[in-house]
Amino acid sequence: MKIGRRSFLSFIIGGAAGTALSPLAWKSMDDSSIWSQNWPWTPVPADGEVSHVNSVCTLCPGGCGITVRKVDDRAVKIEGMKGHPVNDGGVCILGLSALQLLYGPTRVKAPLKRVGERGEEKWQEISWSEAVAEVAAKLGDLRSKGKSHTVCSILDSDKGTVPYLFGRLLTVYGSPNFIRTPSIQDSYELAINLMHGVQASAGFDVEHADFVLSFGSGLIDGWGSPVRMFKANSNWKDSGSKVVQIEPRLSNTAAKSDKWIPINPGTEVALAMGLAHVIIKESLYDSDFVNNYSSGFDKFKQLVLDKYNPDNVAQITGVDSSALVSLARNFAHASKPLAVCGRGQGKTQGSLDEFIAVHALNALVGNINSEGGVWAVPDPDYIKWPEVEMDSVAAVGMQKERIDGAGSETYPYARYLLNRFSGVVNSEEESPVNALFVAGANPLYTISDSKAVKEAFSKIPFVVSFSSYMDETAKNADLILPNHVFLERYEDVPMPVGLQKHVIGLSRPVVKPQFNTKHVGDVIILIAKALGGRIADAFPWDNYEACLEETLGDKWESIVENGFWSDPDFKVPASEEAFNTPSGKFEFIPANLKSPLDFSPVTIEGSDISYPLILVPYDSMRLANGFIGNPPFITKTVEDTVLKGKDVFVEINPKTAEEIGLIEGRYVDIRTPRGKAKVRVHLFDGIMPGIVALPRGLGHTAYDKYIAGKGINFNELIGPVEDPVSGFDAAWGIRARLTKV
Amino acid sequence: MSRLIEEKGKESESGGFIILFFILGLAASLVLGWGVFPKLLYSQKKQPIDFNHVLHVEAVEEGCESCHFFREDGSFSGLPKLAQCVDCHEEIQGEDPNEVKFVEEFVANEREVPWLVYAEQPDCVFFSHAAHVKMGKMECVLCHGHIGESSHSRVYEENRVTGYSRDIWGKNISGLKKNTWDRMKMDDCAECHAKNKIGYDKTSMETLPWPLNWALLPYEKQIGPKARVQAKKDACFVCHK
Amino acid sequence: MKKEVKNEKAKKYGMVIDLDKCTGCGACMVACMSENNVPFKEDESNKLDSIAWMRVYKLTNGKPFPEADICYLPRPCMHCEGHNGHAPCVSVCPATATDYNHETGIVSQIYTRCFGCRYCMVACPYHARYFNWWDPVWPEGMEKYLNPDVSPRMRGVVEKCSFCFHRYQTAMNKAYVEGRRKLEEDEYQTSCAQACPADAITFGDLNDPAHAVHQIAKPDLKHGGRSSNPNAFRLLERLGTNPKVYYLSSREWVRRAGDNYLKKDKTVKKLH
Repeated sequence: MKIGRRSFLSFIIGGAAGTALSPLAWKSMDDSSIWSQNWPWTPVPADGEVSHVNSVCTLCPGGCGITVRKVDDRAVKIEGMKGHPVNDGGVCILGLSALQLLYGPTRVKAPLKRVGERGEEKWQEISWSEAVAEVAAKLGDLRSKGKSHTVCSILDSDKGTVPYLFGRLLTVYGSPNFIRTPSIQDSYELAINLMHGVQASAGFDVEHADFVLSFGSGLIDGWGSPVRMFKANSNWKDSGSKVVQIEPRLSNTAAKSDKWIPINPGTEVALAMGLAHVIIKESLYDSDFVNNYSSGFDKFKQLVLDKYNPDNVAQITGVDSSALVSLARNFAHASKPLAVCGRGQGKTQGSLDEFIAVHALNALVGNINSEGGVWAVPDPDYIKWPEVEMDSVAAVGMQKERIDGAGSETYPYARYLLNRFSGVVNSEEESPVNALFVAGANPLYTISDSKAVKEAFSKIPFVVSFSSYMDETAKNADLILPNHVFLERYEDVPMPVGLQKHVIGLSRPVVKPQFNTKHVGDVIILIAKALGGRIADAFPWDNYEACLEETLGDKWESIVENGFWSDPDFKVPASEEAFNTPSGKFEFIPANLKSPLDFSPVTIEGSDISYPLILVPYDSMRLANGFIGNPPFITKTVEDTVLKGKDVFVEINPKTAEEIGLIEGRYVDIRTPRGKAKVRVHLFDGIMPGIVALPRGLGHTAYDKYIAGKGINFNELIGPVEDPVSGFDAAWGIRARLTKV
Repeated sequence: MSRLIEEKGKESESGGFIILFFILGLAASLVLGWGVFPKLLYSQKKQPIDFNHVLHVEAVEEGCESCHFFREDGSFSGLPKLAQCVDCHEEIQGEDPNEVKFVEEFVANEREVPWLVYAEQPDCVFFSHAAHVKMGKMECVLCHGHIGESSHSRVYEENRVTGYSRDIWGKNISGLKKNTWDRMKMDDCAECHAKNKIGYDKTSMETLPWPLNWALLPYEKQIGPKARVQAKKDACFVCHK
Repeated sequence: MKKEVKNEKAKKYGMVIDLDKCTGCGACMVACMSENNVPFKEDESNKLDSIAWMRVYKLTNGKPFPEADICYLPRPCMHCEGHNGHAPCVSVCPATATDYNHETGIVSQIYTRCFGCRYCMVACPYHARYFNWWDPVWPEGMEKYLNPDVSPRMRGVVEKCSFCFHRYQTAMNKAYVEGRRKLEEDEYQTSCAQACPADAITFGDLNDPAHAVHQIAKPDLKHGGRSSNPNAFRLLERLGTNPKVYYLSSREWVRRAGDNYLKKDKTVKKLH
């Protein structure tokens, strides 16, 4: 039988009819349309039980309470914690992005030992016991050679149990070299130390101030505890409080202020003295406070009357003298005026003169330790560990001078001078530091003159990073002992920056550790135990959690329950008892200061002939510039006039741009005495002619592809300028030149 | 010439053949469509543990809600987590190999059981149990059938194209259903909503059986009284995310 | 039961954003991205293809130093009501993938219905809609933070702000379990409003006189929802899109920037 064409066609027609009567076609059509709507490679997040965990964010010193929303064992969202004394429900852009850090590709997933060259990123995974043994062996070796004092630790804070554990280990081991990363905390602490005679942090009662005079502080650009400052700013709007912002660039703070007064950069100290001049001359000061609780007023008065009359100050600052006079009057007439300083987010120390001058302004209007004013807030003393018993090696080591020179004859006032660190290391042929521990800090990125810092690091024979992320410092370390991310660990977070209350927050494990990481506190205890002897004796705890629980004592339960502990009765002493200076009073001219302050603006690096422009940095909430690199979500929010592709823009006044012949978006080389980089220009009417501004927080060379290689790190273009009295880094900018490319 | 005649003869012969082939084609495609196709389309999967609902319903006090309950936040727990099972199954009870497997493999290792969910809707669907059970006072059986009376877990059939459970389309490959719980497609939601006049603004509502609804109703007419799913055009967001 | 539903007063969820308080910090953008599973790419500096349901724009007054001024303007979807739900995007969508929900006043976007013609993007005068040019990709491990209440989108569809509609749904679930049909003001808040550290965003039911949004925006419902608050304005109000997002600013130039005013025009409220 042969099948003919017709039969075949008939078969096909029969088949078609049968198919039409069967579900095949219809069902396939339906299924394929469903398939086209659900693409299998698009992830489907698993559903589950929702729970909320209260904790504290440690990504900046702000100490905000957070509430983490979880679905089963996954953390899916970070929200601000309602009722928290710092942020009451608000949350900042960085805290919101923290889950990208927790689950992100930048995590260091296990202890790593360098096998290639420094920075070559060739690592070998090692076990925790190997890692601890390696560190202990190195430390033991140095100690036996009498070089215990050449061990150094760099941390972002000196408050709380983890920094205390570091400090304790160094002390009992025999090294005075605990260094805190620089910030305006240093300058405020020193100003308060000198003028009040107490060791305390500056707390600002911003909620109650009704006239805020800011000398370049980025009140809503990340200064202080950011969310708290945002809330305060909104309260000011509601209550009609006034904000006056003094700075050469129209920052967000300046734009939101009631009055923006552009000023020649770096001359803020002169303006503060000029305001003092008017206030004193017109007798607008708080005579009760000045007469009864202060000393040195006559000397101070003489100084400001002699040198800072409005016309002189106008000459220096570029601020119109009549504007200056009316500002001084408004400030003094306000019922709760508050003057603050520390440029931008306050990430550099600044000059001591400026802090003293601004603090003196506060004293003149009598708002020291009072409602709406500046408070000297001592650290809460909840860490009461027994004194360490030092052996002879430790005692000898502790007698040695600090590597950064802080507390030495030359720099008697400063406690930490990380800005001097690279200079000291680089000036000697053999590094005076033999081992360096870095925790919660990324000095290779955040300290100015990156090139010099990198050179210094390369000279140090043994660098250990405790970073959870592959940051610049970790990348150039010999050993990485990754800490848990704050969402995986317990840690006390005392003293949110700038707060005038006693609050201790508690970070707690929201999720289980995602990788083979270890709590830095546990690692310190293990190292101490491995070193044995008196060192081990100083660490009687089994682990960090036991140490923390014991330290917090009767606060533990409430802190675990609420996520924070705060002292409702906290008060600073009344003016009669507040000051512990030689005079027992607030000192306008600190008696403890051996060399007189001259209150003159800091001269920055570079000659104005070869570098006709001035380069200043600016801080933005949308660019994390501390030891945390920008998570992808935040980088996504950066405007395309700040970052485009891999290029960063410098802001320049259209007039200045025209003079140089630059148009919007033009590529230029920016050169400073410290470095050069290729950038693009963005014309911005909000910046003073003659000045160019670059954002901080770009130019990472580590982390992941979402942030690395974008723009340039401002710290590569600037170097430190030493404050002659304190030794702090007083640089606020550097001279620069733009050339077309 | 003779060849030509031969072919002609053959052709006249093939009249019956044509019909035969038509029937053959028809039969083959019907067998393919109704018999082979469903077999090919669905893969057969066994549950990791053969679960006996009857036994559990007897043992628990509050019926279905003992394990499938509403959480305080209004969400529905769905399948119980291991933690719930462990309340009773810390130790092996009895000798059932499924029980032994459950305790040894999952309880001991603190591993969640990867149950296959017959009623699993795709990610784009938002379904509120609270609205239906608490507000609508609907019985579980209405959508889930008599699963609570089963003593063995039936085979889970997964559509190879869409990845959906067969229960969504329904056991019957034709898409026809006898009981309310036979299918869980969007039209079935609509049918019930129409019957009970929930979310409809026209009272004389009725839905056409699939696939007539597709074929007969032009798009614009969906706003009209014979709409497939919802009379109100704005209702997509109620159930889709 | 039907009666109950019918008696339920229609809600009209809307937002008031106080531009005097907004600091431009960008927290709302990230709060939105992390709540709504918005993807990210290696380079997000091309803002034309960078998906941000909530985007903060920087406005400048165009004056030279030192009179220059800037203001930030967060832009979610405006959830235009137009005339009786006739929003610009809704009326053009050939797939009914976007729709005006009369029960809540929210403009929906159904990703599985959208076939990516992008007509709605053309129609939207606020650039509030974004197209997925690529499949979303999360680096390994990062998909762990994805929110199960919101479906991740695939390549080829349009997405936009939903006023966190899933939060409305989950809040309603809770209400149902408690035997209620009405939500309290704080039970349903968008992620951006909840996160805003400056408390610049207020969210609620514009139809409910007890809600803060109603009290601040004072919408005149007879005249297309126009606000009777002298500091309030809506973007491109004169197009008649009838948006449900109101802005507050004490600065005249900011209010003017909200619409295409001619030099002689004033930002007065009464146009009809």
